[in-house]
Amino acid sequence: MHLTRFRINTARQGARHLLASPQRLHAAVMSSFSQTLPSDTDRPRTLWRLDRNAKAEVLLYIVSQERPDLTHLVEQAGWPTTASWQTYEYGAFLSGLRAGDTWAFRLTANPVHQIRRKDGEPTKRTAHVTPRHQMGWLLGRQEAAGFRILATPPERRRLPQGDEHQLAVRDEHRLNFEKAGPPGGPRNRVPLVTVTFDGRLEITDPDALRRTLTQGLGKAKAYGCGLMTLAKAG
Amino acid sequence: MNSVLFLRLAGPLQSWGASARFARRTTETAPTKSGVIGLLAAALGRDRTADLTDLAALLFAVRIDQPGTRLRDFQTAHHADTDKAMPVSERFYLADAVFVAALAGDDTLIRTLHTALQAPVYLPYLGRRSCPPQGPLDLGVMDTDDPVQALSAQEWQASDWYREQRRRDRTVTLTILAEDTAHSPVGDMLRDQPISFDPRHRRYALRSMTSTQTEVLNPRYTPAVRNRHAPLPVPRHEPEALLSPMDGP
Repeated sequence: MHLTRFRINTARQGARHLLASPQRLHAAVMSSFSQTLPSDTDRPRTLWRLDRNAKAEVLLYIVSQERPDLTHLVEQAGWPTTASWQTYEYGAFLSGLRAGDTWAFRLTANPVHQIRRKDGEPTKRTAHVTPRHQMGWLLGRQEAAGFRILATPPERRRLPQGDEHQLAVRDEHRLNFEKAGPPGGPRNRVPLVTVTFDGRLEITDPDALRRTLTQGLGKAKAYGCGLMTLAKAG
Repeated sequence: MNSVLFLRLAGPLQSWGASARFARRTTETAPTKSGVIGLLAAALGRDRTADLTDLAALLFAVRIDQPGTRLRDFQTAHHADTDKAMPVSERFYLADAVFVAALAGDDTLIRTLHTALQAPVYLPYLGRRSCPPQGPLDLGVMDTDDPVQALSAQEWQASDWYREQRRRDRTVTLTILAEDTAHSPVGDMLRDQPISFDPRHRRYALRSMTSTQTEVLNPRYTPAVRNRHAPLPVPRHEPEALLSPMDGP
């Protein structure tokens, strides 16, 4: 497995073109793998995420089976003569994960649930729109995903409820764009709510967590959601 | 027994000359001792030629509560009766300034001055006849002999709009210009010690003054609240820090 980091030069027109549309960015990410053909469906998932740390510090992370070639991205939205991307070997890190370890994590996800408004109506996928429900979405998935989000010690809690876990939700984006349907058919609207979770976790099931880190968590993986990364807990 | 008399000197325009000659009538940045003594002598109803020694012996200090802005006026006045042109003059004023002046001296004299200010014989003005004071001058009397210390204890007298501008500051630093006593070090010299206001021959001696700073509370202080819509700071997250990079592309 590989983890790749690419810094986007936000001052360039090409970068703005890409950042404005998760579809275009997905296409750019997917076209960086020379071995994968668009018709391949049974390949392992490629995950990507944008970290908007500051206005001029936007980082693209890619987790993939294959080693990517981001030359086209450097040409459109990077620094062609001074900086390129950096790919890291991810497999050794993944196999070193042990139950009981504590890590800081970041995850950009699309927290949704299936609801029906009245009996007999088909269920519909609907986004969680409040931070409390968005946190609840992640907390409900943590066990199957192989980790447990750490609890805040009672003396460090600042709210009567809602900050029991070392977890923060921020950077919510509500996107609504059009996607081409089947040829000749109608165009589909894609409503999308993405949020970024930051927090600390403890590994409970290393195998499940490895799967989470490489296969993604939640929906809308094509639009930059589902990639979780671990960093040293400070 | 000594006490201190406080005056609030505020007005749309003020002009306090100490070194002006001929057609260029400048102003100092703070009220002068001779101007304030003149105001008090007028309140007492003293004649221009009357003896000033008791008033001139008072110890004077002034605090700059609101510095104001300097205003230049190019004056082409004509004589009211003969319509003859007066010398073209350049006059400087302080606009929108507020000061607190303190005069320390013998208790009986201070009380007399305080009473005279309640019902002045000649109307008071701020350095020049065309500059009337805004609001009451009188800020009361305090039993002490140190005018500088007494000024530091006075609350901030600046106008409300000016305090509002400084609402992010819990305290404001104000300058106090104090007349030096015989046993204090000699500061800046200013020809501002009144000897005679006789219109035929006004006379002033040199006096020295020292500038100090004081901090007063700002009653309009409102701490800035964090904008609830401002984004939260982004925590650092570097997943690649523990990974080994592969050879460059």
